[in-house]
Amino acid sequence: MYLLALVVLGGFAFLSSRMPLESSWQRTGLVNASLGFLMLTAYACARVFSLFRLPLISGYIFAGILFGPQALQFVTQTMVRDLRLIDELALNFIALSAGGMLRMSFLVRRGKAIFLNVALQTVAAFTAVFLFVLLAGSGFEFMGHLSPLEILAFAILLGVTAVARSPSSAIAIISETRSEGTFTETVLGVTVVVDVLIIILFTMALTIAEMLLLPGQAMMLRAIGGVSLNVLAALLMGAIIGKAIAIYIDRAGYDLPLFLLLFAFSVTKCAFWLNHYTQEYVGFALELEPLLICMSAGFTVQNFSRTGRDFMEGLDRFSLPIYILFFALAGASLDLQALGNTWPLAVGLTLMRAGGIFGAAWLAARLCRDPHRHGTVAGMAYLTQAGVAIGLAQLAQRQFPEIGVYLLTIVLAVITINQIVGPVTFKAALEFVGETGKRRGSEVREG
Amino acid sequence: MFLAFCGYRLTFRSFRLPLFARSFHLTGTEFLFLGLLLGPQFLNLVDAETHKGLDPLIALALGWVGLVVGFQFEISKLKRFPFEYLLAAQFEGLFTLVVVFGTAYVTLPSLFEMSKPMVLVAALVLSAAAACSAQTGLGLMAPVSVTRKEKDLRLLRCISSLDGLSALVFIGLAFALRPSPLLETSWIWALVRGMAVGVGAGLCLLLLFTLLLHRRLSESELTLVVIGMAILATGTASVLNLSPLLTCAFIGMCLVNVSKQKERIYNILISVEKPVYLLMLVFLGLEWRIDAPVIFIGAFLYWSVRLMAKVSAGFLVVQSIPALRTHPRYLGFGLLDQGGLPLAVLMDFSRSFPGDVTGRVLGVALVAVILNDLASPYFLGRFLKEKGN
Repeated sequence: MYLLALVVLGGFAFLSSRMPLESSWQRTGLVNASLGFLMLTAYACARVFSLFRLPLISGYIFAGILFGPQALQFVTQTMVRDLRLIDELALNFIALSAGGMLRMSFLVRRGKAIFLNVALQTVAAFTAVFLFVLLAGSGFEFMGHLSPLEILAFAILLGVTAVARSPSSAIAIISETRSEGTFTETVLGVTVVVDVLIIILFTMALTIAEMLLLPGQAMMLRAIGGVSLNVLAALLMGAIIGKAIAIYIDRAGYDLPLFLLLFAFSVTKCAFWLNHYTQEYVGFALELEPLLICMSAGFTVQNFSRTGRDFMEGLDRFSLPIYILFFALAGASLDLQALGNTWPLAVGLTLMRAGGIFGAAWLAARLCRDPHRHGTVAGMAYLTQAGVAIGLAQLAQRQFPEIGVYLLTIVLAVITINQIVGPVTFKAALEFVGETGKRRGSEVREG
Repeated sequence: MFLAFCGYRLTFRSFRLPLFARSFHLTGTEFLFLGLLLGPQFLNLVDAETHKGLDPLIALALGWVGLVVGFQFEISKLKRFPFEYLLAAQFEGLFTLVVVFGTAYVTLPSLFEMSKPMVLVAALVLSAAAACSAQTGLGLMAPVSVTRKEKDLRLLRCISSLDGLSALVFIGLAFALRPSPLLETSWIWALVRGMAVGVGAGLCLLLLFTLLLHRRLSESELTLVVIGMAILATGTASVLNLSPLLTCAFIGMCLVNVSKQKERIYNILISVEKPVYLLMLVFLGLEWRIDAPVIFIGAFLYWSVRLMAKVSAGFLVVQSIPALRTHPRYLGFGLLDQGGLPLAVLMDFSRSFPGDVTGRVLGVALVAVILNDLASPYFLGRFLKEKGN
């Protein structure tokens, strides 16, 4: 039935893409049709994938790749750009979920494991990729003409992007498999903490790269101080908003999914407006990160109010359409051409990163005396990579155009591999440790 | 969006305002003014560029309303009404359509400078909007007067649920007779082509949704399919130059009669129906033109003709159908409330036929909607006081 639905959807997409578009309303219609098409196609693909016990998220990503600009082009690059708003909404929504899934009691109980995992994996992933690029980079045709200093800066930036994870993928798979337990919560805790840490690490990396490539311009401590202040401000603002959400749920509580959806919609715009306002009128460049605000808000509602359960249920209501669109669009944005051009280096980097993460996760599990099974497969849970790494690479590209274009290409290629492989390995790891299907109160998305 | 959400809470969940304000407030008409205020004519907070960026959302809102409207036409439920009621509903709707269409077709060229095909389309749209009626006003009436007239109110409910059907058919005609094909080819060919594409696309979409709904879906899966369905259907309809409203109404109509999950789909649809309705009012307000006195003259004329058509239709229904002779002669007084469908019809029109004339025609219709909101409670009160034949 789903294959038949895919055929009908394909027919629609084929016809729509061949219609002459005379008015702006028709062009809007095409964007809408693509959005609906992507949503339903990704859903149908995921249902087909689930027959082979593959994660639903892989189906969403596959649909994006297949029908996106890289393959059948039913969804073009322009449409993907036009749907950027959905991306922002989805990321904020996912960040709210990520914060809401972190329980204080667990963080305290598993604090050591989370700290060790974060520290070891960050060092291992960075070192493995950094050394690989530094030692073997010049051997690849792709990087052949870069100067030694440029290779060094390149290695630092790539090393830091290797640390980045995909909380959205982690949450999607945990939700899909209804997993609960020590392993699941450790993975989630580590992924979310790394997501906060990566912003600071990347700013440091950018500053070092600036010192290497543009001597005399960067001031390390000031840059780090500024970032830390921004992170703190975002977390504080998130806490205040979280408290407000909790009060709303407690006192009013109606139409919660809609309320949360509107909140996720507006938080990016509000952060942008506030950043602009402070720069324009206060003379101080505040750069609040909407993801951190949402994460902190979710965390506050979950841990500092009685409304955590209602909050998570409210998020659950619209989460599936949002996840589907987000991952299908992520699939449509993956750059297969970049992968084709740089695959030897991309495969090498992916293997080095995976090696570092596997080793570090195994060591952390041993040090925490976690069950042997956990240590064996822990690395499989940390491979996914998505939006944040791309965002960081884009930032670096703007800052250092001479190496940035290579950085973006290679990061996109590595992410393409990790985002295809990562969800499959994570689901397999959750099944291996036996934590799937244990979460209550959340409905079965498998149907 | 936040405003619409807050407004929805205030408008539909609290009734502590004075009676006069309530009747105005209940219909959410203030959101038209909010849109007008935010739009390019006053504050310009929502400028043309932002407005364009909101187009997908507008289309989704239209599709959503279309699905909700389509879900009203469940044959098994309609069968519960006596045949005379169904006949009365269709007669009343068609009568109003014909009267308003004729008047608008003759009058519009003297009010605004517009091409002949556009006069036809605008007249079709105005008559379609005029034909629709709703029962929002009944919520404000004293329970005693409502229970006294239970039988009459049942007839009113039946008529106001079904007279939108003729309106939808007229909207379909307006889209099939788009000005551009009309100028290039004969109107018969344009009509046939438009109807063939419309029915074909509708059936294909229906096949798709039947395939996706073939098994019992979990709540979140169903939400996904319903949202995807609304977005895909409106998008496809816009691309094919069809009416998103009619296309979605057609799908809704079919689904409610064939799908086993109709109750669950309907629950999802109505869970955000009212915020969607208020959003639509804000969007309409953004496009509202009140920059010429002729708009107000046209509006008053349009409102008067609709009033007369509704009252006459009610009178004729009661007099000509023997089984309905016990109902009050001024049945039409109870059919003046317009509800959300005409607003969706106007939105559909304004987005699909952009232009200066469209803005003015929209202005006429919206001023008439406000006039109607002010006047209909009075007429409804008269109807409830009137004794039957």
